[in-house]
Amino acid sequence: MGNNGHGYFSPLPRVLVSDDFDRGMQGWLDLRPNFVGPDFRQHSDDVDLIHWGPTMLSSATFAFGGTHGSASGNYSLKISSRANAAPADKPPASGSMGLAIKRLSLPGKAKRLRIEALFAYKAEQDRPGLGINAIRALGVFVDLQDAKHRWMPGVRYVNAIAGKPVRRWQFYSKSDVTDAEWSYGLDGWHKTGIDPQWFGERASDGSSVATTWFDDGEQHLIYNESDDKLNWMPLSLTLDIERRAYESFRVGQRTFAFPKDAQPTLAPAYSDIEALLNPVFFVEADTARRVSLYLDSVQISIEEAP
Amino acid sequence: MKTFATTVVELRQCFEQTVETHPFECGWADEAIVFVEPHNADPGDVVTLRVQLSPDGIRWLDEGTVLRVTEHAMARLTHFGGFLRLAGGATNAEGAATRTTLTVRIALKG
Repeated sequence: MGNNGHGYFSPLPRVLVSDDFDRGMQGWLDLRPNFVGPDFRQHSDDVDLIHWGPTMLSSATFAFGGTHGSASGNYSLKISSRANAAPADKPPASGSMGLAIKRLSLPGKAKRLRIEALFAYKAEQDRPGLGINAIRALGVFVDLQDAKHRWMPGVRYVNAIAGKPVRRWQFYSKSDVTDAEWSYGLDGWHKTGIDPQWFGERASDGSSVATTWFDDGEQHLIYNESDDKLNWMPLSLTLDIERRAYESFRVGQRTFAFPKDAQPTLAPAYSDIEALLNPVFFVEADTARRVSLYLDSVQISIEEAP
Repeated sequence: MKTFATTVVELRQCFEQTVETHPFECGWADEAIVFVEPHNADPGDVVTLRVQLSPDGIRWLDEGTVLRVTEHAMARLTHFGGFLRLAGGATNAEGAATRTTLTVRIALKG
């Protein structure tokens, strides 16, 4: 599998999966809740979890530019929101996000984990002008569990809020709020730290109890100058599995430094998911306009302890 | 071996007036089946949905297939290009426009 056909990725020694989406969805699908209630209802109603936008294979086809294709091949994974958004200090609105997940498990003595992707992001070209500030945020996190803890390390690029540019990266950090405070006042299925892409009180500047801004986190990614032009950019997040800590994060030509010993919240272990390895990519709308995150490819690799 | 993928493009989605399902990219597929499942419909409710195609996911044209949905319904489709959606609305027993809640699944193969 190596570098997935191009030189953007620099995997750890053991590549677990390498997806380029020219042969199908390759195990990525919409993130949906647990349909274990009466009449197949979802397990949790704290936030509307069943109406996020759908994930699809895209040729990145537009009205004026035609088919963009992907960085290596024709198809990418397109994660889309619906045309809806809540203010930044409110819980996410119905359909305001799109999320794609792949469900794996950690093998052997994994001590380091690396998630790499080649991505681009766009607002729907449904009106004249430039839609860059219709995109609230995008990001990636990993749902991990060992014998003691469930933990969800990840990064979020806050692109714009209320139509104004922000262009800063943050990461999911330790939260000491109660489970009920975490879940907007409802003490339900979500323990503190679980699903930080939805939970944890939010502020109007894009900060939240779930996140910490990188000190040097400002970055102007390539959106390009039109809503139909994509540039594929590499992202690499490396985690220390043994210490349940962040190790490094790179996007494009930049490296962002985590504070020493930075960790996400370590929640208690949930039942029957030990060794879970579920990467999730997501995109968030800032306005009533569909936005999309495109993944040309994703590669997941580990280094094992001797 | 062909690729196959089913997407639940709308899940128990309430449409107050007009139904327009999410623009769905499917240029890789040769064939599609759309499944429409109504929820909590009153006796006499009918959902009429037109299959639509698009060059870009923005500009939509009727493909010609029309589904008249009173219970779980489907339509088989081929030669649909890069984008698919369903558009239409619901009427009640008196023929007046009414809200509808639908699950729409698109099964793609190619």
